[in-house]
Amino acid sequence: MPNFSRRAVLMQLGASGLAALTPGASLAQNRYADLDTQPWSFLDGNEARFLASMADVLIPEDDFPSASQAGVVDFIDLQLAGPYGKGAGLFLEGPFRDGAPEQGWQVDHTPATLIRTGIARLESGDTRLVDLDASEREDFVTRLSEGEDFDLGDVPATTLFDEIWSLVKEGYFSDPIYGGNKDYAGWRMVGFPGAHAYYADLVDKNAPFPAPPRGIAHVPGSSRSASTSRALTGSDADTQQEEG
Amino acid sequence: MATELPKTDVVIVGAGWTGLAAAKELADAGQRCVVIERGDWRHDATNFGAPEEHDELKYARRKEHMIDTPTKTLSFRNNSDQTALPMRRLGSFLPGKGLGGAGIHWNGQLWRPLPSDLQMRSHYAERYGESILDGMNVQDWGVTYDELEPHLDFFDRVCGTAGVAGNLNGETQEGGNPFEGPRSADYPNPPMKASPPLQMFRDTAAQMGYNPFHMPSANVTKAYENAYGAQLHPCTYCGFCERFGCGYFAKADPIICIYDVVKDHENFELRMNSQVLRVEKSADGKTATGVTYIDENGQEVFQPADTVCLNAYALWNVHLMLVSGLGTPYDPETGEGTVGRNYAYQTIAAASVFFDENVWSNPFMGAGALGMTIDDFNGDNFDHTDLGFVGGGYISANQTNGRPINYQPTPPDTPSWGAEWKQAVRESYLHHVGIVCHGSSVAVPENYLDLDPTYKDAYGQPLLRMTFDFPENDRKMSAYVLSKAEEIARNMDNVRAVGTVNRAAEGESYSVVPYQTTHNTGGAVIGTDPATSVVNRYGQMWDHHNVFVFGACLFPQNLGYNPTGPLMGLAYWTLDHMKNDYLQNPRPLMDA
Ligand SMILES: Cc1cc2nc3c(=O)[nH]c(=O)nc-3n(C[C@H](O)[C@H](O)[C@H](O)COP(=O)(O)OP(=O)(O)OC[C@H]3O[C@@H](n4cnc5c(N)ncnc54)[C@H](O)[C@@H]3O)c2cc1C
Ligand code: SF4
Repeated sequence: MPNFSRRAVLMQLGASGLAALTPGASLAQNRYADLDTQPWSFLDGNEARFLASMADVLIPEDDFPSASQAGVVDFIDLQLAGPYGKGAGLFLEGPFRDGAPEQGWQVDHTPATLIRTGIARLESGDTRLVDLDASEREDFVTRLSEGEDFDLGDVPATTLFDEIWSLVKEGYFSDPIYGGNKDYAGWRMVGFPGAHAYYADLVDKNAPFPAPPRGIAHVPGSSRSASTSRALTGSDADTQQEEG
Repeated sequence: MATELPKTDVVIVGAGWTGLAAAKELADAGQRCVVIERGDWRHDATNFGAPEEHDELKYARRKEHMIDTPTKTLSFRNNSDQTALPMRRLGSFLPGKGLGGAGIHWNGQLWRPLPSDLQMRSHYAERYGESILDGMNVQDWGVTYDELEPHLDFFDRVCGTAGVAGNLNGETQEGGNPFEGPRSADYPNPPMKASPPLQMFRDTAAQMGYNPFHMPSANVTKAYENAYGAQLHPCTYCGFCERFGCGYFAKADPIICIYDVVKDHENFELRMNSQVLRVEKSADGKTATGVTYIDENGQEVFQPADTVCLNAYALWNVHLMLVSGLGTPYDPETGEGTVGRNYAYQTIAAASVFFDENVWSNPFMGAGALGMTIDDFNGDNFDHTDLGFVGGGYISANQTNGRPINYQPTPPDTPSWGAEWKQAVRESYLHHVGIVCHGSSVAVPENYLDLDPTYKDAYGQPLLRMTFDFPENDRKMSAYVLSKAEEIARNMDNVRAVGTVNRAAEGESYSVVPYQTTHNTGGAVIGTDPATSVVNRYGQMWDHHNVFVFGACLFPQNLGYNPTGPLMGLAYWTLDHMKNDYLQNPRPLMDA
């Protein structure tokens, strides 16, 4: 298993354009620096940079953090290392044939091999997504989402796009115990109060909900989830999620 | 060779809503029941507690409570010209696995059929002339609303259903559904609360001359002791309902409503982690002798039984019949045979309503059956003359699923990612409601279930193969009902935008990818003619009189309602005839 430091990857990401692109990136980098002793569980440095760049086109920074600032790359890393990445939710018996879109997933890949293979083929030339400027990145992601002019062998571009976009949204909005939604970034953005849910007295009132979010492992009296750092110890990946 | 166990009176395949109801009723009637369930044991008290259960990634996205697709799935194609391919990932529907079946992660929207729904062919033929049904396999159920009513009522008291009666013993009641069939008793519990968008929907629909009412709900509104003496508690509107188990004992489910009151019965035995492979037949093929299954240790076992009950969920009941050679498979070329015939689904469309910042919908406060509904465009509650279709659907403002990974409403023309998307999600999330059109689905000769010629499941059995697309009738129906929903949406106050989605839009094919409903129906339908039904009007197989069939596979075509109310009414109807007639004198209950 590759053992790249998160910090090294995100430093490079900052150096190669993200910091210039988004004013808050250096802040984010400091946040990631907390984790610089943690190895990636599945990704290698290039994959992480690709995913961070793409995720930040999909969910860029504004008043609320970008996807990578909210821990989405960490989330994806853990997901791909765990049962989900290994295809725990997929029927993978052959034969494999191209299907109609209505027939759904028909590639002979797990999510982990799909993303690994897809990124390797996208990045096989000289250019790296991370090195492109903001409008070029956006253009790249648009073309990928439309499946245009990419020949990725047995990885359909739209399947790859859909899988990454799905993981990015999951990482931005799932409970922080999975490593994303850092400091409840996604939940604060939309106003979702989280896992401690008792609304019998409020459901018929036309009023905003008064309290900040609390996750499954919320630290009482704080604005944080306890498990963010635990979830990021990588080796926990298999026990974080037993399903697929 | 399979180990043969001592014979039991009744073997029941599946421990969901219908299987546990069968076990309870038959055990009480003195029958030794063995229930065989392929999934794990679990319980609301020990497995569904908050906050751990309130994990959208684990349950709603990774679908922890649901069927294990790598082991068991089906193959799918839109039409016979295509090659069916395995549904490799769950999407359009989410069958259950484990104690309680899909009944633990359902919404609890608990409906009754309209009287005319159960006599669909004769009703439409009489009102509009038979030709309105040309090209469709629409049929009567062979059992009437009046016959089912006591059983529908009993299931309301098993669940503690919350609602406002619209028709009590023939008298129309204020605030209820004026179109419903007569109820012999009021709902056991008062209706759910109404969130602000639901109040607005109610007021607007009433102003437009429609008849809004609270959706009937098996999310219980008060402390309630059910018909079996089990205790339920009031709903907290936690919003982690469908796709989740309820740790508050507030959502009626088969575990707390039935299993808890039968688990210690001397006539009840439950075998978990055991996969039934097939029903075995006697030498003359006229009866079943029991079932062969793989037990929790991976051993093949034969369980002999006098009576076999199929309670494995609509799709898997049909699969078991096909792999066991029960009944005659449907042949779409000749139109002959019945097993797999009349597969239908649910036709879903929705209007998406975006409010200004004065309306706080707070979509995370919700419950599986929190809805305000009109039934004015369901069934034959409206005049179908010259509309070019039959059937209809209910229109309901629902507040059930506002969890942020799955629920990111954005107004029409918003890009699907990027800065503008992010801004739109942020502005819309707390100020939005969906109005669903929950439409019926007619049976047509081209839509059916059979066995896949290529793909096999983990047990080495051919996959069930589904051939389905939305019939033209239902596309027209859906467009029509959606136009009514959109009109209501546009008439509501404080609305800044309205979007629509129609799964059965002209030019689009049914897809197994986006979730629609787990309301797969037909394939082993009920009726009075063995040429067009698999079971007689008592749920007994025409060809094998000691096999009884339960679940939505019995529906000749699908209603505009969710299936569990109707299918549980049928279940208690069948069980009544088993207990009070068949078991004393086993034989075909109707002449073929
Ligand atoms: C997300 C969701 C929401 C829903 N909401 C509603 C709603 O609001 N209103 C409504 O009316 N309905 C709803 N439904 C549908 C409802 O859950 C089903 O109608 C109901 O559970 C059917 O009961 P059943 O007994 O036929 O099958 P199930 O409850 O599914 O039970 C079947 C059991 O059989 C087992 N089994 C299958 N094959 C075998 C085998 N070969 N050997 C051993 N065991 C086997 C399965 O593991 C399962 O536990 C919903 C379903 C889902 C998934
Ligand atoms: S919404 Fe109500 S019924 Fe549904 S899970 Fe929450 S408490 Fe239970």
